[in-house]
Amino acid sequence: MSGFPDMLRRRWSGKPDAAGNCGFRSISTDRKAILSPGRTKDLTARYPATSQGLDRRSALALCGSAVVSLALAPGRASAQDGFKFGLTPVFLSNDLELLALLRAYLTEAIGEPVELVSRRTYQEITALLVAGQLHAAWICGYPYVQFKSELDLVATPSWHGKPLYQSYLIAAAGRPTGRWQELKGDIHAFSDPDSNSGFLVTRALLAENGLKPEGFFSRSFYTYGHRNVIRAVASGLAQSGSVDGYVWDVMREMEPALVDQTRIVRRSEWLGFPPVASPRALAGDPRIARLKEALTAMAGHEQGRKVLALLRLDGFVAAEPALFDTIAAKVDAVRRFG
Amino acid sequence: MNLLRRLRAIPVSYRVPILVALLMVAISAVISERVLDRLSRTQEAFLDGLAGSYLDGLTAAVLPAVLRGDVWEVFDALDRSQRSYQALSPIEAVVTGADGRVLAATDPTRVPSYSELPQAHASRYGASTVTFDREADIGFAHRDLVYQGQKIGAIHTAFDASHVFAERREILATLLVTNAVLAAIFSLGGFLLVRRMIEPMRVLEDHMRAAARGVAEPIPSRDFPSRDGEVASLFHGYNALVHAERERANLAMQLAEEEKLASLGRLASGMAHEINNPLGGLFNAIDTLKTHGRTPGVRDTSISLIERGLNGIREVVEAALATYRPERSARPLCADDLEDARVLMKPELRRRRQRLDWQVDWPDGVVVPTPGGPVRQAVLNLLLNASAATPEAGAIGLRVERTPDRLTISVADEGPGMPRESVAMLCDEDPGPAIRAGRGLGLWMVRRMVDACGGRAGVEAGPSGGSVVTLVLPMREVARDERSHAA
Repeated sequence: MSGFPDMLRRRWSGKPDAAGNCGFRSISTDRKAILSPGRTKDLTARYPATSQGLDRRSALALCGSAVVSLALAPGRASAQDGFKFGLTPVFLSNDLELLALLRAYLTEAIGEPVELVSRRTYQEITALLVAGQLHAAWICGYPYVQFKSELDLVATPSWHGKPLYQSYLIAAAGRPTGRWQELKGDIHAFSDPDSNSGFLVTRALLAENGLKPEGFFSRSFYTYGHRNVIRAVASGLAQSGSVDGYVWDVMREMEPALVDQTRIVRRSEWLGFPPVASPRALAGDPRIARLKEALTAMAGHEQGRKVLALLRLDGFVAAEPALFDTIAAKVDAVRRFG
Repeated sequence: MNLLRRLRAIPVSYRVPILVALLMVAISAVISERVLDRLSRTQEAFLDGLAGSYLDGLTAAVLPAVLRGDVWEVFDALDRSQRSYQALSPIEAVVTGADGRVLAATDPTRVPSYSELPQAHASRYGASTVTFDREADIGFAHRDLVYQGQKIGAIHTAFDASHVFAERREILATLLVTNAVLAAIFSLGGFLLVRRMIEPMRVLEDHMRAAARGVAEPIPSRDFPSRDGEVASLFHGYNALVHAERERANLAMQLAEEEKLASLGRLASGMAHEINNPLGGLFNAIDTLKTHGRTPGVRDTSISLIERGLNGIREVVEAALATYRPERSARPLCADDLEDARVLMKPELRRRRQRLDWQVDWPDGVVVPTPGGPVRQAVLNLLLNASAATPEAGAIGLRVERTPDRLTISVADEGPGMPRESVAMLCDEDPGPAIRAGRGLGLWMVRRMVDACGGRAGVEAGPSGGSVVTLVLPMREVARDERSHAA
């Protein structure tokens, strides 16, 4: 394991090439949400033991073993392993450039090597974070509310001047749907069972109307990524989907051809933007403080502004836990309904 | 049959190139068929391999997701694979689960998830890996998803095979054009070659046709092929034939000329003899008149002698005139003709002191339609021959018998018998060899007369030795005055 950070550093030092690509993928296992499906061999990476190409087998074996040992390592994250920052599919990017910039910025700000950790689902990142195996993670408001007692807020992104965003119910662009109730009987695409905008908001909406997803929709499935929800609805695989409004809006600028195949049926109320949180157990760690400072000061640094520009965010702000009360209310509503 | 006959009527110079072209078309058809068949097998094997690896890749990609029934993962894998297998140009891929329902398709609007697989998809496959719909230019392939020995689903794929068929069509067009050009070149080459080959035959044919019309010309040297060979030898042979035929014709003309001269000689000799015979008596009579002319008895006797002598000379001259004037030779045969022969024979008979046994029953005024000149000439020739063959003081005979349909003329002699060549000249079917031997021109004239009249000649031994030559001439019509006379 001693050589592992070096390997990472080498591979993250410049523009990703074939080898760097591989190394990145091996570490950030959930490429699917983080990275563009078009750019990465998502499937082959997800099931490396069965489907890797021969030419990459040796490299993958090394990387794969690193991932396994990382995931299975008992105990808390230690200083020797560097600063581990978790990312969930909340995160917009499908861009390696963004990850490289973010990592470089955080490494410089915190003063030690930063490792970006990705997983396929929210749940995996949340579990790692709560277990203290990550120093911090960019999670969704819904897991934050669920594990509020074990997590501290570090910072919340600010979008259009506020740390708020919406959840959208979307359908195919050509479908003349006026009200969300008309989505009854659809095959519906959710993002993630631990996503606020990609699941909880719609679930709560149905609960408030005395409905359950399995009764309202004919079928539903999870795509584990907001971009995937848009793709599922655009392709017709699903007739409607629950998606992060921030992701939908930003992607509309970046991939209009894809997003314009969908339209918004319902916008939710404004809700707390997915925050960066850290385990409460690491509250005294000076690196958490440095991270908070680095995030909130991001707009003031050239490197940070590049990251924010790619994320289409204004910056990060220090937010109060009360920002997520509306989400907590939705959790309550769902619980009440059963 | 009719077509075959019509084909045979086409000249060789066209027929052979047509046959070459037809042969080329047949060969090219066979070759094209083989090439296309081979190409089609290669393409199908290639597509089978490609489709196989495509299905392998899809299977590996979707199998875990199918196990979990994860619609999105299956769709995502399919969606990605469509871009990864550009070489196969996939059109559609559908993955079904264990229950046969659709998990995901590349185009969910056509084949929605959770729906039953359309019947058309299940029934479109053949025995081989890839089945083609040639009308739509689409290939189909499917693969069962098997996990731990159990079928957990299936992949159904369709891909664009138009490039395969386009390639085939392109190769077919190339083959057709190439073969058409080759066939045209070979036909033209065959046409020119055959024309060149049969050109000498055409020259020969032209000359032979001209020869059949009576103008046999040798082939000029400029028409000879440049190299010696079979054709040159054939031309030489033909020219040798033409030269031989010309020589033969010249010889025949020469022969006829000689015969004329010979006849002329005989006539002149006979006439000189006939005129010379009375001349001695006439001069005696003139001497007698000079000496004893005053004596009335002697004078009258001498004048009478002179008169008879001159009469004899006149008869000979008249007979000669009758025989050799062409305009008289074509008139019908009559008693005078035979009488002329008798008169002309007289000097010869007297010289040889021979007797003529004359048995002719031919009243004056009777004519037969046979031309008189040639018959009289033939009779005269036969009598001259008989006289020559008979010893001095012997006898020869002429017997003429008439029946309504034929005239029989027999000439008898007392000679040692006619030579075999002379008999052959008169009686054989082909008198050629006897003529070429140069014997008996007089007999040849007789034979020609008999042939012209459509009669026949025969030679047999006489009752008292010697030979009898018998000519039998048919008479188609008897003159009217003969019938009146007979009545």
